[in-house]
Amino acid sequence: MKRTFFYWVLLIFCIFSLVEKSFAQGPPIFSDSPILLGLEGRGIRTFGRYIVKENASIYVHPFAVPYNIIAKLAIGGIAPFVQKNPDNLKSQSGLGDISVFAKYVIVQEDRTAKTFRIVVKVQETFPTGKTNSEPPIGQDAYQSYLGIVSGYITTEYSLYSELGYNAVSNNLSDNLVYSFTFGYPLLPVTYPSKQVNLYMGFNGNSSFETNQTTILTSPGIQYIAGRRFLLEGGIQFPVVQNLPEESKTKVIYTLGVRVLIF
Amino acid sequence: MKRNFLGILLLTFLFVGTSLAQSKQVKVKVDGLSCPFCAYGLEKKFKDVDGIEDIKIDIKEGTLSFLLEEGKIFPEEQIRKKVKQAGFTPKEITYPETSVKNEKGKIHP
Repeated sequence: MKRTFFYWVLLIFCIFSLVEKSFAQGPPIFSDSPILLGLEGRGIRTFGRYIVKENASIYVHPFAVPYNIIAKLAIGGIAPFVQKNPDNLKSQSGLGDISVFAKYVIVQEDRTAKTFRIVVKVQETFPTGKTNSEPPIGQDAYQSYLGIVSGYITTEYSLYSELGYNAVSNNLSDNLVYSFTFGYPLLPVTYPSKQVNLYMGFNGNSSFETNQTTILTSPGIQYIAGRRFLLEGGIQFPVVQNLPEESKTKVIYTLGVRVLIF
Repeated sequence: MKRNFLGILLLTFLFVGTSLAQSKQVKVKVDGLSCPFCAYGLEKKFKDVDGIEDIKIDIKEGTLSFLLEEGKIFPEEQIRKKVKQAGFTPKEITYPETSVKNEKGKIHP
């Protein structure tokens, strides 16, 4: 696994080194963004995520709608469709656990063609997914998340990070959520313009009580076709995963779109 | 013949002169413009303003420019307010040149 990871990093850096000039870019694929504008503030985001586990596959298809109330405050909701296909059981599908969230900009340092922003993010997830099936679709627990999302975005590269605490009800283990993403644009910028962006990141999740950690490496590519439409995809695979064998993730495939509607 | 030609020429100049309208070019330095996907909000804020046209955003230079129709007033504090509402930081506002627009909408500096 370490070797595979090394090859991915090497591949990404080789692509970077082939490109002499770099310009502006879009929102990260696998981590959150402190930019609450454009596609991140007034659009629909939806993507399909196909998760391959040791003894099951899961398809998750969330629909997320953020909305800017003011430039510094965005609220939104996420409704996921979930389908679980265990190897030895009947497949189950349906609406998963619905979330609502709010993000508020607490730091905004703007310079020419660059910005540094930090937002506070709160998210509440409700147990709306059915739990009377085997396997269950929902978590059967409320989840309350408080996190800090930061980003330094320039016309040449971007860095994003997130750190948050997710409190889970029903005596389930709370967890720490963290991510770091590096973004690199490939095409010259004129507005509006087509953009192709590469991302390389890590997404981690550590449970306190069970002492379990998963860290995924998350390379991705994104195509922005002008003002209102974005297509993105990527592959995630674990680099750290100390979970029970049956819970282990082999790989996650993601393909999604974002459409600006407001 | 010569007199007729001069007369037509004069009339042509008079016609062209009346069909051109003076537009004021406005250039706003905007800090924080670092991504095309978030610039749309800025463009939209100014598109809604009556009397503004030919909006251009240069991300690398960090500028927003537009033409303000003759006779229209758009105070600087209103411009700054719009930029802030779009989520960016307004800096200096300049008026690089007065542009002339003909009936077909072509801009002539």
